[in-house]
Amino acid sequence: MKKKLISLTINDKAYEVAVEPNQTLVDLLRYDLGLTGTKKGCELGDCGSCTVIMDGKPVNSCLVLAMQANGRHVTTIEGVETDEGLHPIQKSFVEKGAIQCGFCSSGMILSGKALLERNPNPDEADIRKAISGNLCRCTGYQKIVEAIKELGT
Amino acid sequence: MMRLPKFDFHEPATLDEALQMMGEFGVRAKLIAGGTDLMVNMKHQLMSPEQVVSISRMDELKGLDTSNGMVRIGACFTVADLAESEEVGKKLGALRTGAKALGSPLIRNLATIGGNIGTARPAADLPPSLMAYGAKVVLKKRSGERAVSLNNFFKGPGLTELQPDEILTEIQIPTPPPHAGAGYINLGIRMAQDCNLVNVASFIAMDGPDGVITSARIVMGCVGPIHLRAPSAEKCLIGEKPSESLFAKAGDAATGDCTPIDDFRGAAAYKKAMTGVLTKRTLGIAHKEAVS
Repeated sequence: MKKKLISLTINDKAYEVAVEPNQTLVDLLRYDLGLTGTKKGCELGDCGSCTVIMDGKPVNSCLVLAMQANGRHVTTIEGVETDEGLHPIQKSFVEKGAIQCGFCSSGMILSGKALLERNPNPDEADIRKAISGNLCRCTGYQKIVEAIKELGT
Repeated sequence: MMRLPKFDFHEPATLDEALQMMGEFGVRAKLIAGGTDLMVNMKHQLMSPEQVVSISRMDELKGLDTSNGMVRIGACFTVADLAESEEVGKKLGALRTGAKALGSPLIRNLATIGGNIGTARPAADLPPSLMAYGAKVVLKKRSGERAVSLNNFFKGPGLTELQPDEILTEIQIPTPPPHAGAGYINLGIRMAQDCNLVNVASFIAMDGPDGVITSARIVMGCVGPIHLRAPSAEKCLIGEKPSESLFAKAGDAATGDCTPIDDFRGAAAYKKAMTGVLTKRTLGIAHKEAVS
């Protein structure tokens, strides 16, 4: 089992890192690169707390091998904030009270952001479908749905 | 923390190279595409291959071709792409319905049609409609290839006709003729992220808009070790004019064609009853599509 050098772009920054064959993308992000905004919950693709956007699509980073991310563009929650401060979707989550314990928030925000990029004016059903892979045990989802809906055009 | 077993990772550049690797490694290797099944099985220590061979980046396995009366879908076509494809929706509506019902958006962005077939889970969302449409899978190895009807592909939970040195490369589905239609319904506890309790796909073809049914295929999931055809339900449809009462009769017949077990998801008697209901309803959807 040999380490291999991979190069990938994370939050618009180029990285070159040596990874183990059995290392997952979420572990690379959290333990090697210190990007701990991406959370680890179930580690089996059920909870969505490890959601990242890979090549424009939200995916469970616990189900992606680091080596499979070679050459890809990855956005984590750390890459959502802009020079002007929090991204509008992050502000909306704060203002609408969509963040309680915060463990699902990174994934919720990334799933919401990916939805809005595809569909700028989603209805409630679209939003509930888009976040159906992200579990929240605090909010009952309503405030999260409202926070995303708020940004519709 | 869930640990993955130790393995070597390979990412061959071409299908030929991948076929060579699978020929060499045989049972010691597992293919990875979307990884949504293999990664979970490896984390649970249910599978510990020495070699993992990635085919997730092969463009030659991602095609969609609808020419010459056949829909050909590459094995690495993602479930999200299936769910979004207008072309698939127009020709194979029931398949698209299954794709939309599978997992969650996060899973669908990774999962592939080939993986949903190759893992051979009796509750999988895509095989019922694919079997109802009469699909075949292309299995390739270094020395040649064969096309196997999906009807004969599944051998048991997790078991298939696929040999260790073969790769499932393509799914071939005959374009449904005029006056034909198909429907798919999956019943689960939740709207997303759960394993189906019962899922059924039905296909019927008629000899004209007001004609009689000339062929019928009904496929039931979660009610046997593999996806099951419902021969007696199919038989009672042939030569008959579609009607609500005929579809109810077929539904009743289907409950005799399935062999569900009691488990934590539901009682066998309930699954049997729901198989009848879903058979009747999917026939209704199929008929509506056939006459539209």
